[in-house]
Amino acid sequence: MSLLKVEDLTTVFHTDQGTVQAVRDVSFELKEGEVLGIVGESGSGKSQTMYSIMGLLADNGVVESGKVTFDGEDISRSAFATKKEYEDKMRTIRGNKMAMIFQDPMTFLNPVLRIETQLVEPLMNHTNMSRAEAKERALELMRMVGIPSPEKRIRQYPFEFSGGMRQRIIIAIALTCNPKLIIADEPTTALDVTIQAQVLELIDNLRKETNSAVILITHDLGVVAKLCDRVAIMYGGKLVEIGTDKDIFYDPQHPYTKGLLECIANPEDDEDKPLHPIAGSPPDLLSPPAGCPFVDRCEKAMRVCKQYMPPVTEFSEEHKARCWLQDPRAKEV
Amino acid sequence: MAEEKVILKVENLKTYFDVTKGIFSPKQIVKAVDDVSLEVLEGETFGLVGESGCGKSTLGRTIVKLYEPESGKIYFDGKDISSIHGAELKAFRKDVQMIFQDPYASLNPRMTVGEIIKEPMVIHKIFDTDQEREDRVVELLKIVGLKPDHIRRYPSEFSGGQRQRIGIARALAVNPKFIVCDEPISALDVSIQAQIINLLENIQKEMKISYLFIAHDISMVKHISDHIGVMYLGHIVESGPAADVYRRPLHPYTSALLSAIPISDPNIAKAKQRIILEGEIPSPINPPAGCPFATRCPKATERCTREKPEPIMVGTRQVSCFLYEK
Repeated sequence: MSLLKVEDLTTVFHTDQGTVQAVRDVSFELKEGEVLGIVGESGSGKSQTMYSIMGLLADNGVVESGKVTFDGEDISRSAFATKKEYEDKMRTIRGNKMAMIFQDPMTFLNPVLRIETQLVEPLMNHTNMSRAEAKERALELMRMVGIPSPEKRIRQYPFEFSGGMRQRIIIAIALTCNPKLIIADEPTTALDVTIQAQVLELIDNLRKETNSAVILITHDLGVVAKLCDRVAIMYGGKLVEIGTDKDIFYDPQHPYTKGLLECIANPEDDEDKPLHPIAGSPPDLLSPPAGCPFVDRCEKAMRVCKQYMPPVTEFSEEHKARCWLQDPRAKEV
Repeated sequence: MAEEKVILKVENLKTYFDVTKGIFSPKQIVKAVDDVSLEVLEGETFGLVGESGCGKSTLGRTIVKLYEPESGKIYFDGKDISSIHGAELKAFRKDVQMIFQDPYASLNPRMTVGEIIKEPMVIHKIFDTDQEREDRVVELLKIVGLKPDHIRRYPSEFSGGQRQRIGIARALAVNPKFIVCDEPISALDVSIQAQIINLLENIQKEMKISYLFIAHDISMVKHISDHIGVMYLGHIVESGPAADVYRRPLHPYTSALLSAIPISDPNIAKAKQRIILEGEIPSPINPPAGCPFATRCPKATERCTREKPEPIMVGTRQVSCFLYEK
């Protein structure tokens, strides 16, 4: 059974300039204990998809349609009569069964509270633990994420920690209630490479220990290759391709996925071949093209691509892409 | 082949910052760049890699004379520029330009693209008439892949990648011989990074400009550079031809840094054994007495914590580590 099922999720933002169609018709599933990577450029809708699922959209964001099933329960906004009911429900889920790790370890933690307060609070909110028990568990979590001398450090404030250590604290906070799903939004982007390696290793070990499923939002294909079982590629608010790590890296089908893989330097190549950048820039989601979002940058674009949204083609049960080239109706190219 | 000409030579450069708080506190000095020597050949790219706080940006900024060095020499085109002032400094600034990391902060939001690119030409009195300068701006816009009618627009109307192109056009306006690129791609999306890298490579081929390319993304640095220097805590711990350094790292820090790069190939990435470094970079305020890397080095001996290793040549490479002493 799948842990998380997202069907036809569409999210828009009402701004002064018009309506931004941030997430358009996104569907995917996640099994228990699985790691799914969501890859895309800034503005491709990868973070907003996750915020829509968790009910954390900014005030001007609206989930227009779509159904989200988590752990057997329908948690879409439309399943609740009032906003209050929805938010009350989400509050019991977030931080409990579903936890989040944010990108910027500098702004996530409250600077005027001790680490102890920030770790103990979610435990006391979501479980019946007493303060002493919660503190015991907090120390255990700090040990788990590799923070040396936790008894001393739990009394400290966030500014006394380095970036990598703060990210560990955030991971510890996410783990407090043994979540079934951890959503990590660019967890290592703000960190240095050697620290990134430590944190990735930590996430990988922890999810094996706790059997939590992980959704990893990132733009770094190297991080995806290291950690993920399956990969979803987003572009212009659309999920354009999804498959196992091997499908995406060794047998990409969508021209955007192919382009993305070609424009990163592979240091394993001895001769430095020139990179193949994707010309142009992503579409404006205030008025996205009627057809495929990638049409303006695609070398193989056809007339149909401009006018009609490509349907999903299934290559296997796991591997799907949204492109007219793969459609059985398309002429051989 | 003709003798390769050294365009930039840095000898035992030190840049310190005084961060003493209050007049009665003990003196605290950040040794951001500590005894660095390097050479950049004409028309080549020297890549500088290292983690945040290792001093790579400070080194770049000291070379373009944005910071005063504490001691040491910088030779540009054979001339000692470590203590030049006034007219000489202005002439030097015409030869050496800089491209910055943040394309949002490095362009004046109240100037049009044309004014931004024209300004260095006005300052350095290149061309006599405004019309000539305007023509040159149009030409530069074409070189960096923008349209001539972008000249009257403001930076806010452009995306990150396009802004970085404007920054490159501004650097090229004075026909420099040398450009310091300080993390020019790290604020950009993956598909845009490749565009900027290719642009920089093409410009180098056509105009024979040398680059000092500062970045933390080792894959990209290896791609664009001829030589690489690896920095740690204010020191260049290893330097040499890019492919050699990548293929056969000598210094333990280089090995650890390379093994930490995420490779975008699931079979390699999942099988790859990382050298996971314990701990974090020590503070440059009280750097370790011996080798800067000794506190995290898996191969450190007692001697490393006492003595500072001198740079030694190993084949084509310079490395500061006792492991390679004869």
